[in-house]
Amino acid sequence: MTTTGDRTASRLTARGLTLAYEDRTVVDGLDLDVPHGAVTVVVGPNACGKSTLLRALGRLLKPRRGAVLLDGTDLARLPTKEIARSVGLLPQTPVAPEAITVADLVARGRQPHQHWWRQWSAADERAVTEAMARTDVTDLADRPVDELSGGQRQRVWIALALAQETDLLLLDEPTTYLDIAHQVEVLDLVRQLNHERGRTVVAVLHDLNQAARYADHLVAMKAGRIVAQGPPAETVTAALVRDVFGLGSVVVPDPVTGSPLVVPGRPWQSPADG
Amino acid sequence: MTTTAAAPAPIRPAGYALLRAGPAAFLIHRRAALVAALLTLVLAAGCVGYLSLGEHVVAPGEVIQVVRGRPSPDGLVVGALRLPRLCVGLLAGAAFGVAGALLQTVARNPLASPDIIGITQGASACTVAALTFGIGSYAVLPYLSVAGGLLAAALVYVFAWRGGLHATRFVLIGIGFAVALRSVTQLFLTKGDYLVAQKAQVWMVGSLNGRGWAEAVPLAWALLVLVPCVLWAARAQRTVSMDDDTATALGVRLGRTRLGLATLGVLLAALATGATGPVDFVALLAPQIARRLTRTAQIPLLCSALLGACVVVLGDLPARMLFAPTELPVGVLTAAIGAPYLIHLLVRGHSGRRRAAGGSA
Repeated sequence: MTTTGDRTASRLTARGLTLAYEDRTVVDGLDLDVPHGAVTVVVGPNACGKSTLLRALGRLLKPRRGAVLLDGTDLARLPTKEIARSVGLLPQTPVAPEAITVADLVARGRQPHQHWWRQWSAADERAVTEAMARTDVTDLADRPVDELSGGQRQRVWIALALAQETDLLLLDEPTTYLDIAHQVEVLDLVRQLNHERGRTVVAVLHDLNQAARYADHLVAMKAGRIVAQGPPAETVTAALVRDVFGLGSVVVPDPVTGSPLVVPGRPWQSPADG
Repeated sequence: MTTTAAAPAPIRPAGYALLRAGPAAFLIHRRAALVAALLTLVLAAGCVGYLSLGEHVVAPGEVIQVVRGRPSPDGLVVGALRLPRLCVGLLAGAAFGVAGALLQTVARNPLASPDIIGITQGASACTVAALTFGIGSYAVLPYLSVAGGLLAAALVYVFAWRGGLHATRFVLIGIGFAVALRSVTQLFLTKGDYLVAQKAQVWMVGSLNGRGWAEAVPLAWALLVLVPCVLWAARAQRTVSMDDDTATALGVRLGRTRLGLATLGVLLAALATGATGPVDFVALLAPQIARRLTRTAQIPLLCSALLGACVVVLGDLPARMLFAPTELPVGVLTAAIGAPYLIHLLVRGHSGRRRAAGGSA
């Protein structure tokens, strides 16, 4: 359990967090400090509670016990609109209203900054324009969201979260349904936002190698608990992969980035070939 | 696709006009505003037609004289008979339209209209029960009907609640209650004597027959009180049309907003039902037609109100005239038009599911 050096300051923390659906406990007594100004990636096998944890960090799920704190205050005690000005969240499968256009959808990211008597401001216009330019969806502005491809649609949703202009951004598997080029594009965008704007990002990712490439701080979960966390280079080892995923593998340096690259064991072969 | 270089042209949601007044700024959907203006014209023409046509035809010029309060030989027919009836039709139609729009928005389901999820059936059951027990006064019945509608909605709500208001469960439980309440009504009808049954039967199909200022004035006051709530709803409705997670992440108090919208919808439906009886399909049809006309991302409330009023008023005109002097209840006519349209919606919804999947999941 190493901390990430100078990034110990944390705006978003979880204390003794227990999360459950009905009577099934998914996360039990978890503590987490989200390093400020860094990209944190949560990994783990299916059903380990990583998405559930992210939902709780974004107050979509009420803790059974414990609390999520934003700047030291329990999320449950903060007005939800106030949280929405600090924490943005992109759910795993967001659903757009029927027949809505791209610009209209992205503009809804401004909701927490608006009032019924001030439905549009110069700041709204700037934020929406910039968010759409960054995600490269400006040309799609007038298109209905229903008609877009999966990759385009995901970029539109990210634009909505960006337009919200929050310091903290939570992303639940933002690369699902995307081909490899779009996956890289989205993750690069996340990294760029973090570096240029100092935004704190927490993302849940399926792909361990992508996590190791893009994370400043990696959190590995198993069965509702954090098994290891720290910089990927120190965290991702063959022993961890075996422990968390139950998979035999070789960990080598990534030829491009030098970050750890997990290469699974040899595929199944017919004994006759051996 | 390289737009990041220079400062990109500012983007505003397509199809909206910005209305500024000091620090206040409102986004107005252009097409919806146009449709609303056109519907107002149609409705105004419809009203003049409604007042002038009938067994005794009055020239439109004369109609306008009467409405402006000038003495006229046609004052009795137009001013005392047709005008209050028209007002009830306008108000109830608008209330049905908005009620349907709100309930369909909350349930994210075009079938969630008050006449399908048990509210009008609750009003019917309550009224028929009252008639059976000898409370037949027309002064009390509308209030009992409102109470019945609210009670039915409260029951549906309690049974559908499970740590949150789930849209599909809400609709299904509503349909269940509608069926149950309908059989309760039948039970009272079979038990009650012949005269009661006849009186109830007339009421159970919504009608403007014999409606006057006694119904129009209380309805107008009640709706006037609810106007600020409807203005709130027009804005709040935008936020609940997203999926739950996204809306919550954007700082919307989803449970409270949904409850507020649903309560308002139920109130409007119950009030309208109290005045006219259950006029079938108006609440179902008006919002769906309005949305198809305006092409907005959520159901437009103003256009739903105008369309609801149009459907009731333009439906009551032939209902009054077709078999004169016998008057058809307007509910029969709206049902006759509504049922085929409902089938059309369902058939189209089936073939167009891929497109709709984005909005109704």
